[in-house]
Amino acid sequence: MTIAHDLLGAIGGVPRPETDVVVEARDVNKWFGRLHVLKDVNLQVKRQETVVIIGPSGSGKTTFIRCVNHLEKIQSGRIFVNGHLIGYRETEAGGGFPIIGGLPVVNRLPIVGRRSNGSSGAMKLVEDKEKNIAAQRQEIGMVFQRFNLFPHMTALENIIEAPIQVRGMARDEAETVGRALLERVGLAAKEKVYPNQLSGGQQQRIAIARALAMKPALMLFDEPTSALDPEMIGEVLEVMKELAREGMTMIVVSHEMGFAREVANRVVMMDDGVVVEEGTPDMVFSTPTHERTKTFLSKIL
Amino acid sequence: MTASVLSRLGTRRAILAGCLIFVALSVSGCSSNAHIRPQVFWDSIFHPSPALVNGIGLTLLISVVAQALGVILGVFAAIAKMAKFFPFRLVANLYVWLFRGTPLLVQLMFFYYGFPTAGIFKWPAVEIGPVFILPEVLAGIVILGINEGAYMAEIVRAGILSVDPGQTEASKSLGMNYGQTMRRIVLPQAARVIIPPLGNEFNNMLKTTSLLTVISVFELYNTTSVAAGRNYATFELFAGAAVWYLAMTTVWGFVQARIERRFARGTGPSQGGGAGPRREGFAARFMSLRAPIEQ
Repeated sequence: MTIAHDLLGAIGGVPRPETDVVVEARDVNKWFGRLHVLKDVNLQVKRQETVVIIGPSGSGKTTFIRCVNHLEKIQSGRIFVNGHLIGYRETEAGGGFPIIGGLPVVNRLPIVGRRSNGSSGAMKLVEDKEKNIAAQRQEIGMVFQRFNLFPHMTALENIIEAPIQVRGMARDEAETVGRALLERVGLAAKEKVYPNQLSGGQQQRIAIARALAMKPALMLFDEPTSALDPEMIGEVLEVMKELAREGMTMIVVSHEMGFAREVANRVVMMDDGVVVEEGTPDMVFSTPTHERTKTFLSKIL
Repeated sequence: MTASVLSRLGTRRAILAGCLIFVALSVSGCSSNAHIRPQVFWDSIFHPSPALVNGIGLTLLISVVAQALGVILGVFAAIAKMAKFFPFRLVANLYVWLFRGTPLLVQLMFFYYGFPTAGIFKWPAVEIGPVFILPEVLAGIVILGINEGAYMAEIVRAGILSVDPGQTEASKSLGMNYGQTMRRIVLPQAARVIIPPLGNEFNNMLKTTSLLTVISVFELYNTTSVAAGRNYATFELFAGAAVWYLAMTTVWGFVQARIERRFARGTGPSQGGGAGPRREGFAARFMSLRAPIEQ
């Protein structure tokens, strides 16, 4: 991104090209049964930006990033990644089926679909075909709290599985890419080792390499260090910092405030399914405006 | 005196010695019994008639093919049982309900004799390359396989459910579709849970083939039965048949232990400790002659 572009952007002169926004969540609502876990969540993540979502447990932050690659369904609102609506197709209200049965509210907030050509009728969300969802997920890497490495495959096999199966990459080529990724996360020597013989930190680094092997446009990290012993947190964060420096677009749910302060372009504070506050790490950590943020930070800092 | 023998030999060895003495007495008792012709027994084992060899071969062939069919049907039925699409679940549940809820013997009679009698379907003879399969053999394989599939469905389903849902999520998040996730990630891990009961099922299958005698398949049991009817050596010939069945199930025990080890890849003791699967072979498990390791 050029400086001129930045300046123009700053004074609000030039509309950014659409491709510059990687993630756009608009008025996302989600219920687990009767529990309203995401309430009109709005969030934008631009290319090469690292956004860290913080907040107490149960605030909906993990649920939110799981919605971004459609591991969870949403009941209203829209999530776009690279301009593609994630997990759903839009149809004119009245056509199609309600996306969930049994809930009192389906699309309570009528939202004008972005491709509704002139007609201002409310649009309904219909879950997309599995094939399309799978295609969208190829662009979105995800790292889980509990690693979820495939235990019946070696470290290298874990990494090359999706490129071979999904992208149709030749095995040799995939192995070359895989070895380079192992090198990058500092585990070149562990190529032939099964996950259960690796430490938590090593497993998580393999999991990051596995996600990167698909060359995603966006990486989601769901509390990547929460299941680790304290002395292993550093090595995983180091890999993530490196990734952020290289310009990967990342959404990180984390309790690592040091990481957020150092790496995040933006920190988002969530509480009770609502985005309470967002801003630069400095703003959020040093001069939080919202009472809920202040009490949360006072407890963990 | 007993106490001193026990302490000198060790309990396990003493029991084993007792067993050997019992076997020796049985053998000598049999050989001195005028009603028994030991040669017929030994011949059925060391010089089996061509009919018997054929019967043993048929038992093995039917068991293997029917079990393979059962596993394939079981996998599909298990997946259908867990499908989102209601008709799949309905069909799978109906299948399992019907074939687990009725006796195999009834199924054999119904499909092999009932269908042609009612003019619905007549089992054909099939020729696959050099192998000629008689109608009753084909019917036996298919009916046994379908019956087995109903049992395998529950076993496979339990195996699939035993795999951590995080595995499916990780696979999906990499862009793999349902089929790839099942085939590459879930089923290989489910296999570890499926194989021990599958071994049990195959062991049963080897013996259950004897029921095919009602649809006149000349497998091991039927062949023995016919031979015994001819020379009245019922005791000797069925003792021989028992030895053959035992030999097949025993060999299978070894094979199963090997397969289990193969699928235990990546599940050895982890760095964090925790018990891995037992890695003893069949012989070690069966004999357990070594004293258990002191805890």
